[in-house]
Amino acid sequence: MAGITYDAAAHLLRRMGFGGSPAEIDDITSRGREGAVDLLINYEQIDNRAMEDMLRSSFDFSDPFDFPRFNRGELQRWWFTRMTYTRRPFEEKMTLFWHNHFATSASKTGDLFVYNQNLTLRSHALDQFESLLLRVAQDPAMLLWLDGITNVRGKPNENFARELQELFTMGITDAVTGEPNYTEQDVKEIARAFTGWKFFHPRNDPNPFSYQFIVNPPEHDNTTKTIYGGTQWARTGNLDGADVIGVICARRATARYVVKKLFDFFVYPLGEAIDRATIEKFADVYMNRNHSIKELVSAIFTSDEFFSQRARFALVKSPVEIIVGPIRMLGARYNPGASAREAASNNILPAVSIFLGQELFNPPDVSGWKLNLGWINTSTLLNRFTYADLLAINRTRDLNAPGLWLSQEQLRSLAKKNSKKTVKKLLSILGPLDVGSEIVAALRNYLESDDGGNSAGFAPDDLTIDKKVRGLIHLIMCLSEFQLN
Amino acid sequence: MPVTRRQFIKRGAGMVTVGIVIPKFWLSAARGEQIDFTPRRKLVVIQLAGGNDGFNTVVPYTDARYHSLRPTLAFRDAELKTNNGTSTIISNEFGLHPAMGEIKALYDEGRVAIVLGVGYPNPNLSHFLSMDIWHTADPNGVGSRGWLGKYADLALIGQPSLTAASIGSLDLPKSFGAERFVVPNIINFSLYNFIADPNYPGDYNNQTNTFNFAAGRTLSTGSFIGAINNTAFESVRGAQQVQKSISNYKSSIAYPANNPLAAGLQMVAQLMTTVPEASLLYVQMGGFDSHSDQIGDRQADRGNKGVGDHATLLKWFSEAIKLFHDDLTEHGLADDVLMMQWSEFGRRPDENASFGTDHGTAAPIFVLGNPVRSGLYGAQPSLAATELDPAGNVKFNVDFREVYATILDRWLGADSKAVLGAQYPNVGFLG
Repeated sequence: MAGITYDAAAHLLRRMGFGGSPAEIDDITSRGREGAVDLLINYEQIDNRAMEDMLRSSFDFSDPFDFPRFNRGELQRWWFTRMTYTRRPFEEKMTLFWHNHFATSASKTGDLFVYNQNLTLRSHALDQFESLLLRVAQDPAMLLWLDGITNVRGKPNENFARELQELFTMGITDAVTGEPNYTEQDVKEIARAFTGWKFFHPRNDPNPFSYQFIVNPPEHDNTTKTIYGGTQWARTGNLDGADVIGVICARRATARYVVKKLFDFFVYPLGEAIDRATIEKFADVYMNRNHSIKELVSAIFTSDEFFSQRARFALVKSPVEIIVGPIRMLGARYNPGASAREAASNNILPAVSIFLGQELFNPPDVSGWKLNLGWINTSTLLNRFTYADLLAINRTRDLNAPGLWLSQEQLRSLAKKNSKKTVKKLLSILGPLDVGSEIVAALRNYLESDDGGNSAGFAPDDLTIDKKVRGLIHLIMCLSEFQLN
Repeated sequence: MPVTRRQFIKRGAGMVTVGIVIPKFWLSAARGEQIDFTPRRKLVVIQLAGGNDGFNTVVPYTDARYHSLRPTLAFRDAELKTNNGTSTIISNEFGLHPAMGEIKALYDEGRVAIVLGVGYPNPNLSHFLSMDIWHTADPNGVGSRGWLGKYADLALIGQPSLTAASIGSLDLPKSFGAERFVVPNIINFSLYNFIADPNYPGDYNNQTNTFNFAAGRTLSTGSFIGAINNTAFESVRGAQQVQKSISNYKSSIAYPANNPLAAGLQMVAQLMTTVPEASLLYVQMGGFDSHSDQIGDRQADRGNKGVGDHATLLKWFSEAIKLFHDDLTEHGLADDVLMMQWSEFGRRPDENASFGTDHGTAAPIFVLGNPVRSGLYGAQPSLAATELDPAGNVKFNVDFREVYATILDRWLGADSKAVLGAQYPNVGFLG
C-alpha cells in the first residue's frame, strides 16, 4: 500500500487525535490514507486495557453522590487521563467534538448528568446522526440544560426548540443558499412537540447512574402542530419530539450544517462562496449514506481537502490540544494520581485548561467554545506560555508521583550532540514545525548563550540539558507556529 | 524615536524596557485618520449576557397589561422596596427591581440615565446573532470588528501605555474586535506575566529575548498566525507594564468576594487608578438567560420574586456599580467615568410555566456615573395586544446605535459616523 508522508501522518494524528510520538507517526506513515483513517476510525478494535486499568486505579466513580470522589474536577481529570493515555485518540476527539456541539454545562445540570452525557457521546459518536441526536435530547443533561423538563402543555418553554434548530442541526440560515431554515412560528410549534419530556431513576435499578426517559402524558401537547409550513418540509400532525428530529435530520440544510461544523473543527474553516462545492460534496455523503457520521467523517479524513496544503496548520489548537498534544509528542509523564483530592498536582491538567479558556464540562454557553482566534487573547496566550514553562521544567526524582513530569532521561534521548540537531529534533517532535531559518538560528543561539547572552557553545551534559533543553522546549511551545494545528 | 521590534532584540539582554516598543506599521496607520485621544474621559462597558429581562428590571408597575401577562412574575407596587424597606419606585410609571437599591440611590442622586425601549429593527432572538449585532453595530451582525475595536483602531493606536482592556473574563468580547489594535484581555493580574524557569534566573533574559525575536516577526496579516504573533508580542509587553503599575493600587472599598461583577469592576478600578491612560474598559457577567428559575423555584421559596436567579444577578449588578462608583470617588475619578450597560435582548412580556421568560426584544439599558444627565429617555414599548408582534414581542423605540453615537460624540470626542458608518440622533443623556 502506498504510504503517506511523515508530515501528512503527523497532520492526521493531530486532527484525529492529539498528536503522536515519532513511533506512532512512523506507524501511520506506512499505512496509506485509507489504511490510516480506517485504523483510527475503527477504534473499537484497538486494545485499550492499559488505559482502562489506569482509570480503575485512579478513579472511584461508584457513587455519584460521594462528592470527594465524584465531582467536576474529578471528571475533568478523568477525561484528561483518557485523552493522554488512550490508544483510541479519535474516540476522544469525536467525543470532544460532540461536547462542543451539544455544549452542555455541569454548572446547570450537575456532574452526574454531564458524566452520563459524556458516556452517551462517546459510545454513539459515530452513529447515524438522528440516533445520536435523539439520545442526547432524551438524556437528563439536555433535558435540564435547555429546560425540557419544564416545557409543558399550554405554557411551552422554547429554549430547546430554538437551539435544536439554530445550533444542533441546521443553523438559522442554510450554509449554502443562505435562505432562512425556520421561522419563529416553527420554534413555537416545535416547542409544543417536545412538551412533557421527563426522566426518572427506576426505583429498583441498583445502578445510581442509570436514568430513563419518559414522555409524561398529562404534560404533553397532544394536538396538531404544523412545522415548516409553506415549504417542501411542511408537516402537519400530532407530532412529537422524535418526529421533529426525524424531519430535521432528513433536511439537506442539516447535512450542510453538520459538514460545516466538522470541517471547521477538523479540517479548515469553510469560507462562504468558495467552499460551496465542498459542502455539497460531503452533504451528499451524509444524504446517501443514511446520515451515518462514521461514513461522513471517513469521507472527510480520506479526502484531498483534508490532506491539502490549505488544511495544514489551518486551525488554532484548542486548550485541550495544547495541553495533551506535547505530552504525547514528547513522551512526557502524566500521573493522574489516585482518587480524591490528595494533592493539587493531581489536578494539574484541568487547572491549566481552565486558565487557557476551556473548562471541560463547562462550556461558556450553548453555542460551545469559539474556535481558532476565539482561543487567543493576551491572557489565554500568556497562560499558554506559562503551561509551556510548566511542562518543560517540572522535574522529579519519583516518576510515579502525581503530576506532570519531563524526566532528565527522556530529555537525554531528545537532545542531540549539537545545537542544530537538537533544535531540529525538537521542532520535529513538537510539530513537525516549519519555522524558517531565522527562528532555527535564534533557537540555536539560545541554546549556546550563557547568562550574559554571550555564545558559550552547546554540549549536551546534564546541566545543559536541565537548563537549556528544558528552556528550548518552553520557547518552542511559545512560538506562534506551535499554537496552530 | 521609537525602536522597531528587531532593533529591540538586537540591543541585547535586559537593556531596554519593553514598554516603548511600538510596531512600525501601527504608527504609519495611526498617522491616517486618528481621533484625538482624551484619556481623562473613560468609558466602562458592562455586558449582561443572556438577555436581561427589562420588564422586571425597570418595572412598569402601573401597567395593567404587565400584570396580566405576568401573573406570577410581575411586581406589584407594594413589592417595589428593598430589604431595608426603601422604595425603589422612580416615577408614576416605573420602579426598579427591589434588588437594585444601590442603583435607586444613585438615581436619586442624579447619576443614572435609563434609556427605555432599546433594540433594533428586525430583532433576532438568537443570543449569538443578537450579540453580534450589538457588538459590531451592524444590523446583520457580520464581520469581526466591533464598535469599540473600530474606535480603538482610530483613537488608541500609538499610545505607549495601556488604554483599553477587557477585564475578568476568558473571552475577548467581539465589541473589541479590531483591525490593528490588540486589545488586552486580563483575567486576573497575578497570572498576567511571562514566566520562565525559576531554577535559572540568569537565563531569563535569553528566554525573553528569543521569545521577543520570534514574536517580533512580521507574519502575514489576516491569517491566524499573524494575529497570534501580534497578540503574543503585545501580551508580554503589556504584562510587564501592568505588573509594574497595579501594585500601586490602594483603596478603602471592600469588594465582596462572592460578586463576580464586583471582582471585575475592582480590577477596572485598579487599572484606572494606576494607569492614567486606561480609558476604555469592558466587563461582563453572564446568567441572564432566565428561561426558568427567574424567581424562586425551590420548594421553600416557590414563586418568591425576591429570590431566584434574576434577583441575585441584579443585586450583584447594583452592588458592584455602587462600590465601583465609591472607589472612583475616593480616587477623584468619578467625574471622568461613564458606565454603559447592555444586554443582547430583553425577555418576552408574557411569562412561561418555568418561573421564567423566553427570548424577547427591546429592553431598557442603564448609563451611569457623574457625567450623565439623570432621568428617563426613550419611550416604554406598549404592551397592548395590538402593538405586539405575532410572536408576542414589543417594538423598540430607540436604536442601540443611537446610544453608542451619543457616547462616541458626546463623551469620547469621536466622530460616531466614522465608527458606526452612519449618523444617529443624540439620545440626550449627556450634556
